[in-house]
Amino acid sequence: MTDATLNTGDHLNLIQRIRRDYSPLVIGMVGLFLIVFVAGAVFTDDFLTWFNVKTIIRDAALVGIMAIGLTFVTLSGNFFLLSMKEIAALSIICFATLMSADWNQWGAADADPTTWTLGMTFLVAFVATMIIATVAGALQGALIGLGGNPIVVTLGAAGLFFGIGSWWSDNLVVSYRRPHGAEWLGTGSFIGDIPNITVAFIIIAIVAELTLRYTTFGRQVYLVGANRAAGRATGHENFGMAIKCCIIASVCAAFVAVAFSGQVSSAHVNYFSSEFGSSGDMTIMVIAIVMVGGNSIMGGYGSTLRTSLGAIFISSIDNMMVLNGFNSGARVLAVGLMIVFSIIVFALVRRGSRAVE
Amino acid sequence: MDRLKHWVTENPDLSFAILLAVSVFTFFAITEPLFFTHRTGFAIMERFAVLGLVGLALTLCIIAGEIDLSIGSNAALAAVITVRFTDDWGAINALLMALAISTTIGAIQGYFIAYLRIRAIVLTVGTLMLLRGVALFAAEEKTVMLTDFRIPDFISTKMLSYFSPASLLVIAMFVVVGLFMTFTRYGREIYAIGGARKEALASGISLQRPMIIVFAISGFCAGLGGVIIGLRSGTAQALGLQYLLLAGTVAAFIGGVSILGGKGGVIGAAIGTLTVNFLNTGLVFNVTPAFMVQLYLGILLLVVIMFQTGSRVFEERQRRSQLLADVDRRRSILSEKIAALRRPSG
Repeated sequence: MTDATLNTGDHLNLIQRIRRDYSPLVIGMVGLFLIVFVAGAVFTDDFLTWFNVKTIIRDAALVGIMAIGLTFVTLSGNFFLLSMKEIAALSIICFATLMSADWNQWGAADADPTTWTLGMTFLVAFVATMIIATVAGALQGALIGLGGNPIVVTLGAAGLFFGIGSWWSDNLVVSYRRPHGAEWLGTGSFIGDIPNITVAFIIIAIVAELTLRYTTFGRQVYLVGANRAAGRATGHENFGMAIKCCIIASVCAAFVAVAFSGQVSSAHVNYFSSEFGSSGDMTIMVIAIVMVGGNSIMGGYGSTLRTSLGAIFISSIDNMMVLNGFNSGARVLAVGLMIVFSIIVFALVRRGSRAVE
Repeated sequence: MDRLKHWVTENPDLSFAILLAVSVFTFFAITEPLFFTHRTGFAIMERFAVLGLVGLALTLCIIAGEIDLSIGSNAALAAVITVRFTDDWGAINALLMALAISTTIGAIQGYFIAYLRIRAIVLTVGTLMLLRGVALFAAEEKTVMLTDFRIPDFISTKMLSYFSPASLLVIAMFVVVGLFMTFTRYGREIYAIGGARKEALASGISLQRPMIIVFAISGFCAGLGGVIIGLRSGTAQALGLQYLLLAGTVAAFIGGVSILGGKGGVIGAAIGTLTVNFLNTGLVFNVTPAFMVQLYLGILLLVVIMFQTGSRVFEERQRRSQLLADVDRRRSILSEKIAALRRPSG
């Protein structure tokens, strides 16, 4: 290996490198999005204030964490899970039920809870929720890894999890009283006035990006996603990979469920359905973020950094439209147009550059 | 008897579907005294009208090796358009308008899928959201309602003791699509691009024509389903009807389609839908809440998928071990021959 091969492209400046790495269509699309964004930011009153920026990132945090989890599944070439919101629904029911369980309360009703008892209550419920989510993820991952179609498997699993969640909670709202051990995660803030959920989003985004970039596991995800035959030939079967990625996605969904339950100190299976947020239901929103972020839906190309930026982008467009007084129809329409547009652009680029199946 | 045995071995999926349908029906007919009555038969056919359409649409898509996720949104859009404009334009005009829009949306999807050569799920998950937005826009974020309730009454009129105009229309649709799939070249092309796409393309079938036809039919079925639901209940919601996707997929898979494409048929779709309807209606008699029905459907789908995947893995393993045994046998024959050749010379 000579220096010349190692340093190819070092003499190019940034613009040249972008033009080498990305096709004009993608540059055009990103440019268009940026122009719309900047124009909106300039012409919308109160958009560029510290308070609003905080709101945007906090809104992006919940869907963003889920989308980061789903990115692993997408990168490993297993499309996406249609059961994200149902996993979250099952988890939120599990968490709230355990938080409100008699044996898990902090003593008599009028006693002052100590930090330790609050922490233990939270810990028990949190660990149990994560275990449930892991099992749910492993179940789907195993079926996908054996060769089941991810869409159909997760469609069935979605019905199953939603049914279990409703059955467990009798389709009622499960609530628990304040103060409880999840408040710090839901509404608290340790660093100045930045909510903890925002901090969690940033930390998870950084950890996920570092994992994908610098660990063996991360490189394996890309390998299996980019070329399944090559992965199998080098001993990286999709079976294990699908299980691992589905577990990551489910655990992220469960984390979001816990955080959301901490905000409202209650739970219901329909919290993540169409009423949640502003645009459509949570699963589709999460898939939209992964796609608008520019990850290849066929796997092997993309990163969680793109997903995080996609979450913030969609959240800020949404925020901008709310500030300008648009109804939910127009906002869903805008997000839908963005997804379809980015799908078509990326497909056109792929069609021109690579041999198709 | 021999012919029956032959038929069963020829069509294992279809006979399994029939067996399942008959056993579900028998189970409920024995346990629920009210199940095996004319009225329940009518109710089942009423459900069949909507679910059958969705099952048919998904069956066609899966035969072509793709899956249409936007079916619920498309149906909701058609329902909203029909219900909203019935008062202004009359039911027939609004209905035709909604059907035209749904079919066009389907055809455009098919065109883009074929032109861009992407998997249908990738595009249709986008249009799922887009159409939902359009439907919200068309309904102005409200639940739209009919004011003239003679139309819902007409749609549910009882005819021939089991049928209504809606279910007769759907049965006619099944017959037409079945004939189209079996006896026309275009129908056979759909099977071809599903079962062996590379070979089909290599032999000169264009990808665009069958794709556009499949997704146009799928859009039409979704639209018709939405129109029937909308006109029958007199109301429509832009965010409703998402449950159709799961029920339709279960129906299609019970009917014997394979996720790899190229397998299954319209008769299977009808039987699969009937099975789901028997289950649904029977569970209603048991006072089962709606979410439990969803749970059972989810389990059913997972079990069917598990069987399909398992049998595929098993077959693959069988084939591989067969291949290895073959190689071994040939090698031993070869070495024997070499030994036989060497012996006289040595």
